[in-house]
Amino acid sequence: MADTLDVRGEICPYPMMRTVSALKQLAGDATVLEVVTDHAPALETIPTQAARLGFDTRIEETGGSEWTLVLTRKDEEAS
Amino acid sequence: MSRSAWFAVAVWAAAAGIYIVTHRVDTQFAMYWVFGLAFGFVLQRGRFCFASAFRDLFLLGWGRNMKGVLVGLAVGSVGFGLVMSRQVPMAFLDILPPSANVLPLGIHTALGGLLFGVGMVVAGGCVSGSLYRMGEGYVASWVAFAGVMGGLLASAHTWNWWWDTVIASSPRWWLPNWIGHPGALAVTLGALAAAYVAVIWMEQRGGMVVPSAPRSQEPTTGVASELRRVARGVFVEGWGIIPAGAVLGGLNVLLFTAQEPWGFTGEVSRWSIGVASLVSLEPPTLAGVADLPGCVFVPADGSFFNHMLFLVTGMWLASFAGALGAGEFKIRIPKRRARYAQSLGGGVFMGYGSGLAMGCTIGAFFSGIPSLAVNGWVFAVFLGIGAWIGTHAIRRIQ
Repeated sequence: MADTLDVRGEICPYPMMRTVSALKQLAGDATVLEVVTDHAPALETIPTQAARLGFDTRIEETGGSEWTLVLTRKDEEAS
Repeated sequence: MSRSAWFAVAVWAAAAGIYIVTHRVDTQFAMYWVFGLAFGFVLQRGRFCFASAFRDLFLLGWGRNMKGVLVGLAVGSVGFGLVMSRQVPMAFLDILPPSANVLPLGIHTALGGLLFGVGMVVAGGCVSGSLYRMGEGYVASWVAFAGVMGGLLASAHTWNWWWDTVIASSPRWWLPNWIGHPGALAVTLGALAAAYVAVIWMEQRGGMVVPSAPRSQEPTTGVASELRRVARGVFVEGWGIIPAGAVLGGLNVLLFTAQEPWGFTGEVSRWSIGVASLVSLEPPTLAGVADLPGCVFVPADGSFFNHMLFLVTGMWLASFAGALGAGEFKIRIPKRRARYAQSLGGGVFMGYGSGLAMGCTIGAFFSGIPSLAVNGWVFAVFLGIGAWIGTHAIRRIQ
């Protein structure tokens, strides 16, 4: 079960800032963080910030102006 | 099509109806209505955000929005430069163009930019950003807009002091007076290009940059499927920031050619002063405002309708329709109470700052630099410093 961060209702730039701090605090063995957001600009800011911390982003549109971003830690061996 | 897309069609139909009615009453109302719709739609589709343009350079090392702003400024500068060179062929005579935003330049320009920069970052959007986010359903942006109205009113109450102390004796510096039209345009475009390089440098210093998710790459077969893809690109998928900036710059040139540069805090001040007068809180007679371009205060004149009302409400309605069409409309209510205080406080800062500087990120900046006016650059520098301070502030507010 992946950790989930709900940033719905947040204004710019908090969806991204809270995602970054959650990624930094992610426990060592956890590899996936799911971020639920209703803030479309976050779909562009989060992937770059996640990549800089070593995470890949997959965006799922869940409808009703909401998205789930699945952030997966890159395999360090592979990179 | 989704239900919200059909709803968007209904809103566009209503917008067309308003156009037809206003065109019969006053063709100027109709023209401003169309400009408002166009500006609002492009702002929403491009997620064009001046607050993010400055803030994200400092906060993230991410330059998407600033690149769009710089492209829009470049397009605007070329167009404004051309129009102004026809309006004032002999620039060395120390004549100023009649309607461009060449504004008195002084300490008020710097302070206005500083306050505005702090406010837009703390509130999470500037005045135009808050206006189109209101259309997208952000409750915090409605609060920010109320703050802007309050700040403008406070600014209007102190205007005469600022006018007597600083503004009345401030120079209006227009680059073509010193270095001619071609020189002024060359210097402006060179500075914008240098800023673009600086943005790329800041971005790369921050680390890698992941490009936006590519649009659907499926091959199309036949006219219908290609048209559908084009329509999706315009109405559903977010626009790239470069085309959005270029179109906004181009629309600004068209509006300037037709009448005046884009800007609207003057109109918002009219609403603010109008509401205040209902409870006898209106400011005294404002000195000097009748003779200045830009978004200076507009005293309430007792009438409800004017052309600028159609520009501002058009921007709001088109962002609402744009968000509906893209499936991005949603009533978004912040869970943390601190956000309401941030939006209101940031709005007040923006309102006071735009009153002093005679414009917001649109009037004093996005129209100021294309006016080839020094005040546009000074406002921009202090906007950046304010945004830097604001970025430090929001890091402390969780």
